[in-house]
Amino acid sequence: MKKSALFAIIAVFVALVVVACGAPAAPPAVVQTSAPVIQTQIVEKVQTGAPVVQTQVVEKVQTVVVEATAAPAAKEKVLRINLGSYPDIVDPQKSSFVNEIAHLNLIYEGLTKFNEKLETVPGAAESWKYNDKATELTFQLRPGLKYSDGSLLNAARYKYSLMRNIDPHTAGEYAAITDEIAGAPEWRGADLSTISDEDLAKLQATVSESVAALDASGQPCKEGADGYAQEDCLTLKLTLSRPAPYFHTIMGIWVSYPAKQENIEAGGDIWWTSPKYQIGNGPFILKNMEPFVRARFEPNANYWGDKAKVPIEYAYITDSAVAFQAYKNNEFDIIGLAAEDLETVKADATLSKEANIYPGSCTFAVMFHQKKEPFTDQKVREAFAMALDRDGWVKDVLRGLGAPTLTWIPPGYPGYKTSDSWGFDPDAAKKAIADSTYGSVDKLPEITDTFSDTPRNRTRNEWLVSKWKEVLGVDVKLNPVESTTYTALTKDQATAPQMFILGWCADYPDQQNWLSVYWKTGGFGERIAYSNPDFDKLVDEADQTVDPAKRADLYEQAQDLLIKGAPVAFMWNNVNSYLVKPWVTGLQLTPQDAGWAGAQVPTSIDIDASKMPSQ
Amino acid sequence: MARFLIRRLLWLIPVMFVVAIITFVLMHMAPGGPFDKDPSQRQVDAVTQKALNAQFGLDKEEWLDFGALSKGDIVGFFDTQFFTYMIGGTVKGQWRCGFICGNLGLSFRQRGLTVQDIVLKPPEGKAPWDSKAGYSLRLGLLALFFAMLIGVPLGVVSALRQNTPVDYASLFIATSGVTVPNFVFGIFLIIIFAVFLHAVPVVPTSWDSPLVWILPTIVLGFGLLAQTARLTRASMLEVMRQDYIRTARAKGLGERVVVWRHMLKNALIPVVTIMGPALAGLITGSFIIETMFAFPGWGRQFVTAIQQRDYSMILATTLIFALLIQIANMTVDLIYTFLDPRIKVN
Amino acid sequence: MASAAVAGGRSVNQAITKPPQSLWVDAWHRLSRNKAAMFGLALILLFFFLAIFGPMLAPHDPLKINSGKGFLPPAWMPAAWVSTNNVGDPQFFLGTDSIGRDVFSRLIYGARVSMVVAIIPTIFITFFGILIGIVAGFFGGTADNLLMRFTDIVYSFPDILFFVVVMFALRDTPIGDWGNGLILLFGALALVNWVGVARVVRGSTLSIKEKEFVEAARSIGTSDRNIMQKHILPNILSPIIIITAFAVPRLIIAEAVLGYLGLGLRPGTSSKEFFVTSWGSMLLEGQTAINAQPWMLLAPAIAVALVVMGFTFFGDGLRDALDPRMRGAG
Repeated sequence: MKKSALFAIIAVFVALVVVACGAPAAPPAVVQTSAPVIQTQIVEKVQTGAPVVQTQVVEKVQTVVVEATAAPAAKEKVLRINLGSYPDIVDPQKSSFVNEIAHLNLIYEGLTKFNEKLETVPGAAESWKYNDKATELTFQLRPGLKYSDGSLLNAARYKYSLMRNIDPHTAGEYAAITDEIAGAPEWRGADLSTISDEDLAKLQATVSESVAALDASGQPCKEGADGYAQEDCLTLKLTLSRPAPYFHTIMGIWVSYPAKQENIEAGGDIWWTSPKYQIGNGPFILKNMEPFVRARFEPNANYWGDKAKVPIEYAYITDSAVAFQAYKNNEFDIIGLAAEDLETVKADATLSKEANIYPGSCTFAVMFHQKKEPFTDQKVREAFAMALDRDGWVKDVLRGLGAPTLTWIPPGYPGYKTSDSWGFDPDAAKKAIADSTYGSVDKLPEITDTFSDTPRNRTRNEWLVSKWKEVLGVDVKLNPVESTTYTALTKDQATAPQMFILGWCADYPDQQNWLSVYWKTGGFGERIAYSNPDFDKLVDEADQTVDPAKRADLYEQAQDLLIKGAPVAFMWNNVNSYLVKPWVTGLQLTPQDAGWAGAQVPTSIDIDASKMPSQ
Repeated sequence: MARFLIRRLLWLIPVMFVVAIITFVLMHMAPGGPFDKDPSQRQVDAVTQKALNAQFGLDKEEWLDFGALSKGDIVGFFDTQFFTYMIGGTVKGQWRCGFICGNLGLSFRQRGLTVQDIVLKPPEGKAPWDSKAGYSLRLGLLALFFAMLIGVPLGVVSALRQNTPVDYASLFIATSGVTVPNFVFGIFLIIIFAVFLHAVPVVPTSWDSPLVWILPTIVLGFGLLAQTARLTRASMLEVMRQDYIRTARAKGLGERVVVWRHMLKNALIPVVTIMGPALAGLITGSFIIETMFAFPGWGRQFVTAIQQRDYSMILATTLIFALLIQIANMTVDLIYTFLDPRIKVN
Repeated sequence: MASAAVAGGRSVNQAITKPPQSLWVDAWHRLSRNKAAMFGLALILLFFFLAIFGPMLAPHDPLKINSGKGFLPPAWMPAAWVSTNNVGDPQFFLGTDSIGRDVFSRLIYGARVSMVVAIIPTIFITFFGILIGIVAGFFGGTADNLLMRFTDIVYSFPDILFFVVVMFALRDTPIGDWGNGLILLFGALALVNWVGVARVVRGSTLSIKEKEFVEAARSIGTSDRNIMQKHILPNILSPIIIITAFAVPRLIIAEAVLGYLGLGLRPGTSSKEFFVTSWGSMLLEGQTAINAQPWMLLAPAIAVALVVMGFTFFGDGLRDALDPRMRGAG
């Protein structure tokens, strides 16, 4: 790539010189020459050009020459990925966004991790077991684990991370995810401005007991730096406040990633910006991080598992049209594929083979506010749901980048089960309106569809409204609002609009994350006032059931109950869509891929240099 | 002159304060807060929200704390969000000087970083001009020079050759400069120079090479170039018909002197007027340039701060912009007196 | 160069030999002979015509979704230029957008909003800009200082934040609702855009007011108001016209960008509503689809360019026609 740029630059200069001298065009052979010839070109340029231009030209060429000679003769194998937006923070206990997690996943590893089938498999812990009631979870770490700098990694490190996640001083955005740990909600919720130091220490001590790092003899590991050096400190015992047989899965996500205490303290609030302090135990080492330009990761030789094969470089282009051009120009190996470009890709013989489209981790639905008329009436909700042709939506609006769904948990996740309730049926939809308490469409109160205003959302909601008009004859008004206003409005039951599109994306692969976290009374579904005591009972029981089969069955019943009430119109599952160059091999694709194709299992990726273009 | 400068510099203070007050009122009236993110993800729960509010001082009163006053706590009376930001107050239990000392506050979004870390601190091992502000400053100046060096001569030539093909060509350039949105123009240039000619990479991997600066400069400066060319042309046409130009010619002055000394100098007043604020706009960066070219400037912060409700970033960027605008306009007023000595600054 | 000097000279001669005419008749006379200006006027009128009679002219309902016909290229585009596998349909002259709506009909309907959004706030900003600029420049001193500090504040004003607040507060009131939020949009656009005009007017006024003819007018006791109206304003028209003509595309795009920030007009759900779409929204939609259906972007971009061209040509002609030194020339 650098070489091609060099040739191009020479070509441009040749062209310039030719234009300036009025000489006949130079044969392409000139392009093949190296540094000395550039100098002669420059001399010519200097003779003809204006004085101001001279120095600039010389400077440019020199820079390029230096780069070209510094570049190794063989092509460097590096996986270049466009990640999109630049992370706000790369701190295991404070991050929450996909692009942030994409960095953490490479640098660190949790106690468990997820494989290509989204099963929870051993990470830093080689095994784990629950007690009978699933109120105690004991992890056994692999012996001899090392950080990328060669220092020891033991259970005390994980204890620190979990404690830091719960600590009210951290105020991490995912702190609530470990609330099952006994004493965690109390410590986390302490009001720092009023609580006395002793009380705070007491709360902390409770959690410290619940998160116990133990040595070979079952005794607590030493405190502080001594503990971090203790080689037999390999057991982490978590005491949970209630049965939680899914908790080992939660320990696979980033909140438990063992960033080093001494680094966090030495670096202060901005420790995470420096590769010097980002010492982890993951398959990669962060080499440098240049804000908004790029980040580079090298394979970590001290990683316990399969060693990564190629370095990874992230870039941060948010303009998809530019990223697409760069990809075609062989500047990226993996980029996201936007719906608008899909048809162009399909029409192109090469690009169409490079497209990877596979299920994603989110479900989107048209949410109806259960306490705002007319959606208080289940019949009306059913009618609005049945008036929507999901296949048409996916084909026309999503341009094929999505999959229609009539259920909540997306395919590929534990608990996925197809449904055929409230699918597209215009006649049944009209009948449902007639059967509703309103009786006919002209008796319905004014209905407004609120959405976060982007060009894409505009088209989407215009489609929805036109379908409701076509099938039911209802005039639904559109109400575009600014994106943060939208978030603020929709997060609270009192301000949540009558209806809006919203989705949920998996934190970790378990039914509990989909059903209990979202739809249980007091969960995220409370924004549309969904509250069903029968549902609550089912998921509560399931959450505490240890037997996997019985547990899965209870969740299935709960999901059926959810669908039966038609609180929302389930619409579509997102898909992951990426363009991947043919020389990238060994990709393992999962719905949970954060930010790029194959992100969940990055160690298996290699680059086949023989397939790379020779330029 | 010195009196003028001192007076104008003193005026900075009340203007900045008014801007700060307006911004402060507006940003707290805007629905949502800094911790409201993508609604399809897990939202910050109430407990964490409270802890965050406390960490960032959002639990303080906005303007004046009458509760503290009633307890006789005068310091506490002023230890509020506004005064903490502008002058100083307690941050994490310690007194900390505010905006007047150059502290731009902790970013609410890029946690742990202060605003000055984000915009003024260069990446490790780089020079100060490699900070985000430094990058934008350099690009803004380049774009200004580009617009001036091409726009002014283009305007002069098209005025001198009014209604000739040169004039129409310049009109064409000017019209496309203002009507073609720069995201379109940008992708167009990228396709030509990077994809077809391979003159530059689509996505520069390093900004140390001068070559990769060319496209962003052109895209950023093109709109101003168009305005400059049209304004120069219009004022030139105006000036050409003035009596003193005829006098100058009648005196037998050379054409070059007439055009450059007499006409252009007088014609530049409107151009210089738009140039001031335009420069302030250019060096505060461009969101579109930065997202297209992965340019590490600070323009992104100016745009995303508001959508992200990153309060200190909103205040800091607004105040920086206000400062730049005033300095630019002050400079413009000074240049007036140089272009037309009859204009008095006082 | 030389020709311009000659033109100047001739105008003086003819002004002497011709019988005096009223300023406006004379101006119109000269304007109507200026081909470029007449072309500009024709363009403007054409777009006004489209804006008014659009619904009768559009071949399709701009909101009609043609399932399975998204991203159709125009039928007349050679297949080699089309980057998708879609085949154009002759009934869609400029092809279709992502969900199969006719781009040509949307372009015609979009003229309405974009013309209104371009013209009405422009009138406001020109009026206020001139008023404040000329007063500040002419009187100078404290008035100038205060007015210019005020413009500095408005310049640095966080306008987007202001719109967020205003839109949120007023969306559900009758003011916010009228014309899909058109009044709010006018207010928002006019509020912050006058400052540029004001600064330019003030700068030019500062220079003009020191000229001999202003001195002369003052010495014979002409009122301030008259001096500003009759002596200064006509001499600073050129930059005003340029700035005004350039405000048009800025406003058209600003409308769309505000829409992008969630602060734009509420989209209509029936083609009978006033606001169906605008060129600005079409530009933004087209940006994402630049590869699949470039006409989604090109069509509104060309339309905006033509409007600006119209205003520029007409503005130039108008300025020349109103120039007192050009009286009788042409």
